[in-house]
Amino acid sequence: MNNNHIENTKIRVTDLTFSYRGRRILNGMNENFEEFAVTAIVGPSGVGKSTLLMTLNRLWENIPRAQLSGRVEMKLGGRLMDIHDSSISPSHLRKLVGTVFQKPNPLPMSIFRNVAFPFKLSGEKDKKLIDRKVEEALRKAYLWDEVKDRLNHSAFALSGGQQQRLCIARSLVLEPEVLLLDEPTSSLDGKAAEVIEELILHLRERTTILAVSHYLDQVKRIADRVVRFSEEKEIM
Amino acid sequence: MRAVKETAVERALLLSTIVSGSITLIIFGFMLFMALPLLGGGKIFQIFVGSWSPGDGSYGILPMTVGTLAISFLSVTISFPMSIGCSSFIGVLGPKRSGRYLKRIVQMMTGIPTVIYGFVGIFLLVPIVRGLASGGSGMSVITAALMLSVLISPTMVLFFNDSFERVPASYLDAADGLGASNVQKLVYVVLPNAKKGIIIGLILAFGRALGDTLVALMIAGNSTQIPGSVFDSARALTAHIALVIAADYESLEFKSIFACGMVLYLFATAIVIGVRYFAFTDRETR
Repeated sequence: MNNNHIENTKIRVTDLTFSYRGRRILNGMNENFEEFAVTAIVGPSGVGKSTLLMTLNRLWENIPRAQLSGRVEMKLGGRLMDIHDSSISPSHLRKLVGTVFQKPNPLPMSIFRNVAFPFKLSGEKDKKLIDRKVEEALRKAYLWDEVKDRLNHSAFALSGGQQQRLCIARSLVLEPEVLLLDEPTSSLDGKAAEVIEELILHLRERTTILAVSHYLDQVKRIADRVVRFSEEKEIM
Repeated sequence: MRAVKETAVERALLLSTIVSGSITLIIFGFMLFMALPLLGGGKIFQIFVGSWSPGDGSYGILPMTVGTLAISFLSVTISFPMSIGCSSFIGVLGPKRSGRYLKRIVQMMTGIPTVIYGFVGIFLLVPIVRGLASGGSGMSVITAALMLSVLISPTMVLFFNDSFERVPASYLDAADGLGASNVQKLVYVVLPNAKKGIIIGLILAFGRALGDTLVALMIAGNSTQIPGSVFDSARALTAHIALVIAADYESLEFKSIFACGMVLYLFATAIVIGVRYFAFTDRETR
């Protein structure tokens, strides 16, 4: 591997094996994910695409009887660090690695409080800063104009596509270095999916994005690189 | 044919609803009828707010009502934080395996007969309270409340735990994805979304404490005075019924147990209304 390659690497996965209830889902995977690029992860259901994302933000640790071996390194502060290192807590890692799930999962609170929720977790009290960051995140997620007059309304009053953009805004509010998108448009109609795609293309300028997708057309439109999962994983 | 069957089933269900609803009302009517000799002649006010002194012709049940409420409120106050802590450990904070075992133990505790709690209270708790109160019998409001808090805790824990489990997984996923710690998940996601279940559990546990007879009878001391402090002896309505039931059937003393029954009935009705109110709003907001 040449130095140039390492310089562009944001995440390096080495010999990654993941098992759940005795079933091996990832089998000695080796992969590099480039910085400030959209990497699409494609393949049939059940081959471990979403599982890979869960290993990158350590959400796999919440799964009872799951086992992981191998190494996942992420470039933090300019150098690759093992994300399972004791100096990195899962909470801290998940603030650096935003996750957007397949189905929009707003919390039962107002639009504003949803996006500001990560500040509640980090103990930020500066109201002006929070107001500004919430607006920024909503603008980045192309949602500000649609919700600016009803920030105190319930997030459940939004449409599916708006809810998903709200979840993206919520992930963006702490300015994560990596954004993991697990089939973010699968539960949305075509128009809402288009907006999300445009948003992804816009975000890659500042963020490393890994997106699981089932739609090859969409992959062609948004991805800089494609990692294809099958029984034997290969790279397109 | 199918329509006839459906009509028959509907009518059978309606009949059973009317019968069970009527039985409840009949019970109240029966108690009212039995207590009439006490309540007649403008004495109704005296019965419910007067003191208990049968020698002077006073059959007021206010001390017992106050005793019941004092013991029940105190027991719920003691057991609520314990139960929230325990259910939080089972459902959110503790390792899944430990939580599972702990839940089984709590489930087992619901099956322990009340009299066992009474014994434990007499032989373990009463001497401790006697020491703390520097004298007296040790049988007091706080003794009964402490023991009752242990008795009602499993009800609360299991109810709280159920309401924690009903918090949608998507909320927990969202919190996990944003880097919430387990404590943050509990405080910001689980507890606010399980609030109604917690209130219902609290009301039901309060009902259990109100209706308990043996613990109050065995360790509250059964004094017929209004307790002035938690270290004073008190008599609960249920204990009063148990103690006076052996009196002469025709005596006014005996009739007083029906007035106690009416007060307990009204408390139980208030609890049912409370639970239904919160259960209804719970469904509406989902």
